[in-house]
Parts: sequence; structure tokens; C-alpha cells
Amino acid sequence: MRAVMSRVAQSLLVVIVATTLNFALPHLAPGDPVEYLYQGSAGSLTAEQLDDLRAGYGLDASLPEQYVAYWGGLFRGDLGVSVQHNRPVVDVLLERLPWTLLLVGTSTVIAAIVGTLAGAFAAWRRGSRGDVGLVTGVLVVDAMPGFWIGMVLVAVFAVQLGWFPSFGAAALGGPTAGWAAVAAVAHRLVLPMTTLVLATVGGTFLLARGAMSTTLGETWLAMARAKGVPPRRLATHHALRNALLPVATTLGLNVAVMLSGAVVIETVFAYPGLGSLVYDATIARDYPLLRGAFLLVTLGVVATNALVELAYPLLDPRVRRTGRGRS
Amino acid sequence: MTTATGKIEPGGRARSATPARRPIEADRLGLVGLGLLVALVVIAVAAPLLAPFDPLARVRVPFARPGGGHLLGTDDVGHDLFSVLVYGSRVTLVVGVAAAAVATLLGTTVGLVAGWARGWVDAVAMRAVDVVLSLPFLPLMIVVGVFLGPGLRTEVLVIAAVMWAGPARELRSQVLSVRERDHVQAARSMGASHARVLAQHISPTVVPIVVPQFVLAAKRAILFEAALSFLGLGAASTPSWGTMLSTAQARSAFLTDAWLWWVVPPGIGIAVAVLAFAFLGHGFEERTRVPSRHRGMAARVATSPTSGPAPTTPPSPVVPGQDRGATSISAGRDGRGEDRLVVDRLVVTWPEARDHRAVDEVSLTVAVGEVLGLVGESGAGKSTLAAAMAGLLPARAEIEAGTVWFSGRDLLATAPRARRRLWGDRIAVIPQDAADALDPVHRVGAQVAEAITTHYDRPDEVVRARVTDLLGRVGLDPAHATAWPHELSGGMRQRVVIAMALANDPDLLIADEPTSGLDVVLQAELVDLLASLRAATRLSLVLVTHDLPLVLAMADRVAVMQQGRLVEVGSVATIAHAPRHEHTRALLAAVPRLPRNVVQP
Repeated sequence: MRAVMSRVAQSLLVVIVATTLNFALPHLAPGDPVEYLYQGSAGSLTAEQLDDLRAGYGLDASLPEQYVAYWGGLFRGDLGVSVQHNRPVVDVLLERLPWTLLLVGTSTVIAAIVGTLAGAFAAWRRGSRGDVGLVTGVLVVDAMPGFWIGMVLVAVFAVQLGWFPSFGAAALGGPTAGWAAVAAVAHRLVLPMTTLVLATVGGTFLLARGAMSTTLGETWLAMARAKGVPPRRLATHHALRNALLPVATTLGLNVAVMLSGAVVIETVFAYPGLGSLVYDATIARDYPLLRGAFLLVTLGVVATNALVELAYPLLDPRVRRTGRGRS
Repeated sequence: MTTATGKIEPGGRARSATPARRPIEADRLGLVGLGLLVALVVIAVAAPLLAPFDPLARVRVPFARPGGGHLLGTDDVGHDLFSVLVYGSRVTLVVGVAAAAVATLLGTTVGLVAGWARGWVDAVAMRAVDVVLSLPFLPLMIVVGVFLGPGLRTEVLVIAAVMWAGPARELRSQVLSVRERDHVQAARSMGASHARVLAQHISPTVVPIVVPQFVLAAKRAILFEAALSFLGLGAASTPSWGTMLSTAQARSAFLTDAWLWWVVPPGIGIAVAVLAFAFLGHGFEERTRVPSRHRGMAARVATSPTSGPAPTTPPSPVVPGQDRGATSISAGRDGRGEDRLVVDRLVVTWPEARDHRAVDEVSLTVAVGEVLGLVGESGAGKSTLAAAMAGLLPARAEIEAGTVWFSGRDLLATAPRARRRLWGDRIAVIPQDAADALDPVHRVGAQVAEAITTHYDRPDEVVRARVTDLLGRVGLDPAHATAWPHELSGGMRQRVVIAMALANDPDLLIADEPTSGLDVVLQAELVDLLASLRAATRLSLVLVTHDLPLVLAMADRVAVMQQGRLVEVGSVATIAHAPRHEHTRALLAAVPRLPRNVVQP
């Protein structure tokens, strides 16, 4: 129970810091906060109009009052109004969220599975040609910027070969319901997802490879072998099952990496998720939208991290009892 | 003795005491990284000489294809792309190195202060580290970057602001460990000032950590710089690889043939720069890493051992090899029963020391129902020999000569699958660190059951009953079957492992220090248990141990090993009362008080 409480406290702390940072940014940045809240066109306004604006945004109140008001707004789901879309930020975000969930969700699952299995395989065959090839490949792919991988994939597989559409998440004017629509969405998901998986799988691979190497050196694995357990069962039931533990603890962190990658990769594919929204907001200097997106992404990362950590005892019996082995 | 220290596990893993050789590849990789980095620096410095045009000048029509002196054509404004590419290396290197330097400096300072001050300073600093590490890096950099306005300084600042946390954590744990070392404690107790201790004692041990941290930070900073520039947060007026890709994206150049000369080259540039630092970091890491005791284990367990000489003669002779080498000693059978295990002039070496024989021309027999004590100092080769007896030597170990016969079959020449059927069924092993021999994520009962079900297809209730029976025989409450290994004490786990070894009533049991870590009462119980098994099932037992009194109490015969050779083999009475070899006498002399009353030949 204490572990859970401390985990929740840690998550809350992160959220509070992120929120406070979000609140403070317009005040810390050079220039009048109104500039940031009113899309840089405040210079063309008269002094009275500026005062009206300040009053409208509550900027005439003292900082602590503004801070309290900011939190109040958050609890009411009020993140301000997007300058670019001229709609509440929350509405814009929620509209884009499903696509990012789809892209990041599928990529996280696939990267976790592929990375773990490939890493375990490399460790099992450590030093073999397959291992060396995989490690080299991961090092090289890890050195490439994710968005560049995306651009090259588009150039090759969408433009040159024409196998996949080069942009968007759903075909315009295509089927909107039924399996045809699902197939169309899946078809357009392949390239961005492949890019995101390639750009992020290296960490999981190396971690799984290291964890698997460690378990392969354990006395209990040697004992299982001496019991006559066949190699395949040794690899899966014993070695991989244990190697999963350290890999699982980083799943939550992977989501943060994935979301970072999605920001730039969605842009390349014009995928209508939060990532391309952030890009557009960056270009348009839509400050309220940017702040809202940052807050939403942070909440998502913190929540996933907390969930993954709280679910960890399901995998590891050693921490299943209350408070045992966890700080 | 440098190899095969006295430690055996079922995998026959003799741990090497020689320092692990540093992989040559790591050094070579580090050099490659250094070479790449030097090349990039030369390009960046010599950019004005290498670039044919001013990267900011409109030198030709926009969107020109390569040709006419323009190697990579021109961009959307008419800049020469090749010149932009050459100059772009400057931003990558400068921002990467500067951001990494700031982040490492900040992180080092925080880590040093937190680790040194401890208390609330440390608590606050580490909380901050946790918070930063759990924020999504790129969105954070974007939102801060947008408010600070685009530019190189913004890039360096935001990259450093999110990347200091990793080095801070590393440095803190290093300081925490160093400050407890003796000479640091001594310096502090002699009244040396904080600054002096930090400068003289802490700093030197911290530098080897700071350098790789910096290299890794630089590698990541380059990727972040590229992403930020791609998002338009870089300096618009300074050519960089990230902004090249940004314009290529904005102008959809990657949807045309231009991807080949506009998109591919800067990406390769970024990848090369990142690889340069990654290789460098790898080189540093291998240089500073404590040799891993697990290195190379994978290959050992993964590849079923198939080594060993081809079968020489059919498994007929009861006493093979009549003319023994001058250095080997006859196993000196006492003429009882048939042999269960025959080791014939066995020579084994490990790759760590090919010129040293871990087992050197050893010949030995174990009769049905016999208890053989195998004694010797640490590193005498007992472990390697014991693993070879079970056919469990890993593939790395080279059997240079000799054979091992188990119940008339050539064990070393047996196919892996057939050998696996013997393990845990006819041949059982109790490893030395038996308390660590249980898989932590499976219940104890299931692991005992696995020993049975691996070999026999039995209904669940039969297996369960057998597990209950086995646990009872080693003095454990059968209710423990549903326990997890970590819920049992070391001694209890050890007994579970013994139960696992006995699961299928083996013909041959090789036990390495089975009584170590057990209290006297349990030791006595175990001795009784093994004695009763031997009587009931004609079990042959090889007892590998330092515990000479135990051997004298339990064994029929004793084999004494020294430096891989068998120096003396004889009945317990002979060994105890008339040892011939000086090493045997030395071992006996090392026993505090020889309990003569238990020696009843």
C-alpha cells in the first residue's frame, strides 16, 4: 500500500511541476504575456484594448491569484481558446487524441514485442552472426532521426513503389464504416507505425538483450538445464520470463519516447494526431494550444508510467506482497 | 591456479578468476567513432574550403536538379545544397557538443552536491531528477523553445535543460559509493575540508563516469537538435541538416525525385555524427566496465554441448585404458559391483587458458551404490571434472582427450537430445549455490514438478503426490509447494533443490558442497537421507566438497585432486590413516580435529 501511495505522490508531483511550468511560461518568456495569449498581434491594439484583454485573461490579477485561477480552469476542463482554430483547446485536442492513441498504442505494443523477442534471440545466440547483425542494425537505425526514417520510407514505399498512401489516416471520400474503413485506416497506419517502431525499438532491444544475457548466466537456469528441460522451454519459460521483468519496467518510459517520436513522425505523414497538431501550433505560434497539448501529453505519460509500475507485481512475485522489495 | 575456481553449477560453469579480456571489437569501435568524429570536425572547420558556394547565397534557380557544378542541386530558394550540407555539419557539432557540455556540467554539479551533502539536499535534487526524467522530452523542449523563440541558443538551452538529469543520477550514486571508501573516510576524519576531499579524492573517480556521460549526451543532443530544427525551432539563418530536412518537408521535396539529393544526404550526416559518438561511448563503456561475470554465458547455455571427441570404442570395457599415462593414477577399484561411471584419461581446457589443463589426464570410476568423495583446494579442477562426469560441460570447454562412460554409454559422444533425457532423470546434479538454483518467478512446487514432467507424462495428481512426497523427504512442509522461492530461507531453498535432484530416483547424483549453508542438524539429516537413498536405490553419489570430515563420514572412497590431476585415490581408511601423497596429507592436516571415531573402514 505504501508503495502505491508513494507512486501516486510521485505522479502528482510531476503533474504539478508540469502544470506550474505551463502556467509560468508566458510570464517567464520575454515580452508581455498578452502577446503570447493573443497571438502576437497585441502590438496593433490600443492601450485600452490591451487592458481589456488583460482583464479578459485575468492578467490584471496578482500572480498567485492567476495561478489559482489557472488551476480552477484546468479542473473545469478549460485550457483556453486555440488562436489558430478559434475553438476551445480541449475540443481540438480531444478531436486529435484518438489518432495518436491508435498510432502510439499500436507502435508501443509492436515495438515491445519485436524488441523483446529480437533482444532475447540475440542474447541466446550471443556472438553469433545473427546477434552481431542485429546489434549493428539497431545501432545504425538508432542513429537516424525518426522523421528522416519516415521521409525515406515515404519516398521509397509511397512515392516510388506506390504501395502505401503517403499521408493522412483515413481515405478522403472513402468508406466510413465497416471492414473496408478499418482496412483503409490500417493501410494508412502501416508506414507511420513502422517508422515509429524503427525509431524507438532500439532501447527495448538492447535492454532485452542485456536482461536475457543476465538470466542465461543464473544458477537457476543452469539447474533447469540440468533437470533436462529442453532448450526451447529453457529459453521461454525460464530465461525470457525473467528477462521480461526489467523490460516491463521501462514500458511506461517508452510511451514518453513514443510520444516524442510521434510529434515529428506524424508531421511527416500528415497524420491527424496530436503530433502534427503540435507541429502546426508551433509554426502558427498558437501558444494556448501548445500549452494544452504539452499538458495532455504529460498527463498521458505520467498515467501510463504509474499504471505500468502498479501492474509490475503481476509479473514479479517478489514484489507482490505489500511493501516488499520496493522503496 | 587461475581457472576453474571451485565452483560448479549444473552448467558446469567454472568461473574464471583471470581478468576478463576486454573485447578487442570495443576498442576498434571506439577508434572508428573517433575517426568519424575527427572527419566531421575537419569538414566543419574546413567548410569554407570544401563548399563551392556560399550556403546563404542564391546561386541558381530554385529546385534545380544536380548538375552544372551543383553536386546536389539547389533548394527552394536557390542555395547550393552541397554547400549547405557541408556548412550544416557546424551546427550539428556545435549544438551537440555545447548542449551536452552544459547538460553534463549541470548534471555533474547536481550529482556531486547531492551525493556529498546527502540529507534533504539530496532528496530534493533526486526528486527533481525523477520529475525531469518522467516528462516527455520533445514536447517539453518544443513548448519551452516556442516561448524562448527559435535560435541556436534556445536549442542548446532546452536540450541541456532536459538532459542534465541522467548524468546527475549517475554521478550521485558514484559519489555515494566513493565517499564511504576507506581513504576518503580517513581524509575526512583527519579534518580535510569538503573542497579538498572533493577535489583530491572524489573528482578522480568521477571523471571516468563524466566522460562517457558527455559522449552519450552529445549523441542524444544531435538527434534532439535535428528534431528541433525540423520543427522550425533552429536558427533560420544558419544552415543545418535539421533545417535542410525541415524545408524539404515543407516543400514536399521527399515526394519527388529530390529526396535522393535533398533528403538522404543530411540524414546520413546526422546518422554518421550520432554513430561517431555512439561508437566512442561504446569504447569508453567497455574500457570502464567491471568485467561481467556473466559474459559469454549465453553461448554456454544456449548451444547444447556437442564437443568431445568422436566415439572411439563401443561402450564395452568396464575398466577402459589399461595403460594409463604416467601422470594419471588408477582409480583403484575395490572390486565391488559394476561401474556406473568411468572417466578415462580425460583432459579438459577452458578458452580463458588453453595452455592450462583444468582436468589433466584424469581416470576414475564410480561403482553402483558407491559414494565417492572428490576433494581438493579451490581451483583444483573439481568443478570441471564434476560437470564432465554429468556430461554437462558447456560447449566452450574443450575436451581435448578422454571419454566418460555412464552405464556403459559414451556420455560425451551422446547426442544432445539423448543426453538431455539423462539429465534430471538418470543423472542428477545439486549445484553449489543451491539456494540460488530456483527460478524466482515460478512456484517451488511447480519447479519440482517440472523435473518430473520433463521426463514422464503423468497425470497431475500423481505429479502432485510425488512433489508432496519429495518435499517431505527433504524435511519440508509440503504446504511450501505453493510458496515462491523468495518466501523460503536459503536452507529451505537448498532442500527444494535436493528434492528436485532426487525427483526421478537418479542412478548418479553429483552434489557440489550439498551441506554448505545448512546447520548441523540439517546436515546430519541430509547425510541420513542420502545414505538411505543409496541403500534403497543403489544410488551412486559423487560428493564434491572441501569438507573432509563429511567425506570421511559418508564416502566409500576418496579422490584427491590438485592442479587438475588426480593425485591420490583410495578407500576412506587408506586416505585417512595412510595417505601416500603429500597433498592429501596437507589437506588432512588442515582439518582442525580429525573425528577418528567416525572413520570406520
